[in-house]
Amino acid sequence: MKKKLLAVLMATALVATALTGCGDKKDQGGAGGNNGGDSAGDPVEALIASTEGTVNLSVWAAEEDQDMVKGWCDAFAAQYPEVTFNFSVGVQSESTAKDTVLTDPEAAADVYSFAGDQLQDLVRAGALQAVVIHTDEVIARVGGADSGAAQAATVNGTLYAYPATADNGYFMFYNKEYFTEEDVKTLDAMMKIAADNGKQITMQYDSGWYNLSFFIGAGFELTLNEDGTNNCNWNGTSADGISGVDVAQAMLDIATNPGFVSLTDAEFVTGIKEGSIIAGVNGTWNATAAAEAWGDNYAATCLPTYTCAGKQVQMASVAGYKMFGVNAYTANPGWAMLLAEYFTDEAQQIERFELREAGPANVAAASSAAVQANPAIAALALQSQYAILDGCESSNYWSPTESFGAILAGGNADGTNLQTLLDNLVDGITQ
Amino acid sequence: MKSVVKKIGNIFRNFGESVAKGNLWVKLSLIIMGAGYLGVGQVAKAVLMTVVEAVFVLYMLLVGAPYLSKFGTLGDVQYKSEFNFATMKNEVNNYDHSFMILLFGVITIILIVAFLCIYIANMIYVYTLQKRKEQGIAINSFKKDLRSLLNERFHITILALPVLGVVVFTIVPLIIMIAVAFTNYDQNHMPPASLFTWTGVENFKDLITTSTTITFGYSFGKVIIWTFVWAFFATFTTYFGGILMAKFINNPKTKVQKLWRTLFVVTIAVPQFVSLLLVRYFFANTGIVNTICSQIGVTDFLTKIGLVREGLGYIPFLSSPGWAHFMIIMINIWVGVPYQMLIATGVLMNIPNDLMESAKIDGASSFQIFKSITMPYMLFVTGPSLITQFIGNINNFNVIYLLTQDVYKTTDQLLANSSAKEVDLLVTWLFRLTSEQYNYKMASVIGCVVFVICAIFTLIAFRRMTAGDKEESFQ
Repeated sequence: MKKKLLAVLMATALVATALTGCGDKKDQGGAGGNNGGDSAGDPVEALIASTEGTVNLSVWAAEEDQDMVKGWCDAFAAQYPEVTFNFSVGVQSESTAKDTVLTDPEAAADVYSFAGDQLQDLVRAGALQAVVIHTDEVIARVGGADSGAAQAATVNGTLYAYPATADNGYFMFYNKEYFTEEDVKTLDAMMKIAADNGKQITMQYDSGWYNLSFFIGAGFELTLNEDGTNNCNWNGTSADGISGVDVAQAMLDIATNPGFVSLTDAEFVTGIKEGSIIAGVNGTWNATAAAEAWGDNYAATCLPTYTCAGKQVQMASVAGYKMFGVNAYTANPGWAMLLAEYFTDEAQQIERFELREAGPANVAAASSAAVQANPAIAALALQSQYAILDGCESSNYWSPTESFGAILAGGNADGTNLQTLLDNLVDGITQ
Repeated sequence: MKSVVKKIGNIFRNFGESVAKGNLWVKLSLIIMGAGYLGVGQVAKAVLMTVVEAVFVLYMLLVGAPYLSKFGTLGDVQYKSEFNFATMKNEVNNYDHSFMILLFGVITIILIVAFLCIYIANMIYVYTLQKRKEQGIAINSFKKDLRSLLNERFHITILALPVLGVVVFTIVPLIIMIAVAFTNYDQNHMPPASLFTWTGVENFKDLITTSTTITFGYSFGKVIIWTFVWAFFATFTTYFGGILMAKFINNPKTKVQKLWRTLFVVTIAVPQFVSLLLVRYFFANTGIVNTICSQIGVTDFLTKIGLVREGLGYIPFLSSPGWAHFMIIMINIWVGVPYQMLIATGVLMNIPNDLMESAKIDGASSFQIFKSITMPYMLFVTGPSLITQFIGNINNFNVIYLLTQDVYKTTDQLLANSSAKEVDLLVTWLFRLTSEQYNYKMASVIGCVVFVICAIFTLIAFRRMTAGDKEESFQ
């Protein structure tokens, strides 16, 4: 409570100084308004002119990216020799950035990295600054306003974040020693081969992020309302005429197949190292681990089809992006925006790919030969046609889907009616 | 209870008497608090009291009144921020911050109450001074008053800081927490971007409601039962475990006693969360314990006798309801016994030896001595700390959270729909509601429940354990 008070007091002090700062310096960058950017004059020059004293900027990035981000900060400062910067880089995992930021948005870092599914919640809580400098350039760099990356960073027509990587989705890794390219087209074939060899293939069932694959694939929908609640029709019948019970039954059949096991991310890595797992649904962050374990037999492709009510249904996925965002309560929104823009520029995205195999969101960076040749990123691109945009999950989505997946992964041990399971699931998601 | 009412009545009677019978100086104190002291020549005190009054009035005008006036609605001006291209800064409107209004509102109310107390006491005091002067009794100079704070009124000086600390760091946050329970402060109402407001007892109703959309009632029942089961077992297993351990180590037949004692103390030296996280990995579904168990056939055996579900292939130590409950209590014994052993060792050494010896001469067996002398003595001495531990265990966040977070996934959909798990204590549930769902209102309601439970247990237990008439019972 005290920390919060302190933060609020500091923030008010900062706002106060920001407001008094208005008086003496102005008119250098031309009148702006919120017309979406730099139509009048160069915002960078205006920014430099209106800057007094040291610019303090704090950055949150993932633990493994610390050195990289610190290097970028120094390079950024070098671009503006007339301004003194003081950077502080802190550790904050992208997957839990929202939790930390929303605990006290005013105390969060000026620029922070987060996974795209958190964008909606962050915007609703007012924790993200709208991108108003170089807006059009930022959008153009990720492939225009219709591109998935731009849409994933946009809420109600306003761009709120800078897409940094386009790899926060999942696809199928497999070991070529066991599977041919034909085999990996259906889940049935894959499970049979795995079972015949006494091995297993895997996918995490007890996670809403993965298990929506079955429902979205079967034509069901999951949409977000204005107030942040979810619409969900998974207990009914989909647009493709498949009932939710059919999907649940199909998931149950898969879960009880001897060639399949539901494993978490970490267990997946352990499994491929031990050799008990020969294929699995996962993302680029484990590409290095899979490549090391399987060597020349390492391969990746889009998700297969699964058998649902006698038909083959293509498994869908989530196309996710990692982004840099600017805190709405930052004392230096101008510099923070430029910094976030710099972090997500072509050169930085290429560097990030080389260091961490992160698929670039920047179109130019993504079209480089090295990126194109990467099997994991190629698989992701192949899967993207079956993917929905990340960010359609409300905060009430995760817990019910986790529980639902856990029940099916355990073979529905209590034998609960599948329709009841689905009704409870939808009640939980839409509450 | 009656005497309290009577005392308050007395205070007001004294106040009335002071106003009615006081001289002009005393009556003037109604407006300028220092006036009464001027009448008896205490200038320093007069200035001090007037300054206190002036500061209070100033605070009320500048800070207190604006916040207090919005306290009823917790604000109505929405936060708006616009980027100004001329200054390259965000321009923020003069918005209302619901949480600050709540915070300062509560602080202001406390200050008003405190000021009223000072005000009334002041009136009564200056009237006493007037009477003293009339009777010709010497009146202390300011210096003497100050010196008395170091001598006969030293207890006031020494208690001032702790009391202030308790008020600022315990009472105020507690009142704020209770107040939040009556608002709609959650993810959709997060200041400063949006406002929250009072909703009455709506949240308390939700906590006991079970419907298709609200499953808090169901979860609350399950969580509170496990909380008590856990607190009971966690307290008594480590308590008796510690005593037994201390007995064994202190037994004259035990060799190298110091070595054993040191070994157990080492477990304390390792930070609890390190050992708990390690244990969590040991007992993971694919962890080392499971690997060993399946290799030596324990998993198969347990599957055969029905303790592990058919086809699971591993023992769900920390991932299925019954097993996780059992394992948590077991692991807690391992973590908690060394502490108890140390305490018990100290107490056991204090048992008067003549009691033991006379019992032995009378032919009592070791077990009889333990049952009739050691245990009653232990219970008598450590009773109060046992209650503290029970309450500590109701709020034992570490063990539960570190052992089950990210590992335990509930398969009870109704629990999942209100973000609870079978292994949650009220306090871990509260934590996850705030840190994952930002549902501060429900977390506050649960916080209130925890507070009430702990308060009730403390009061009942302390009254029984430390009642004065039992003082001599053990001698």
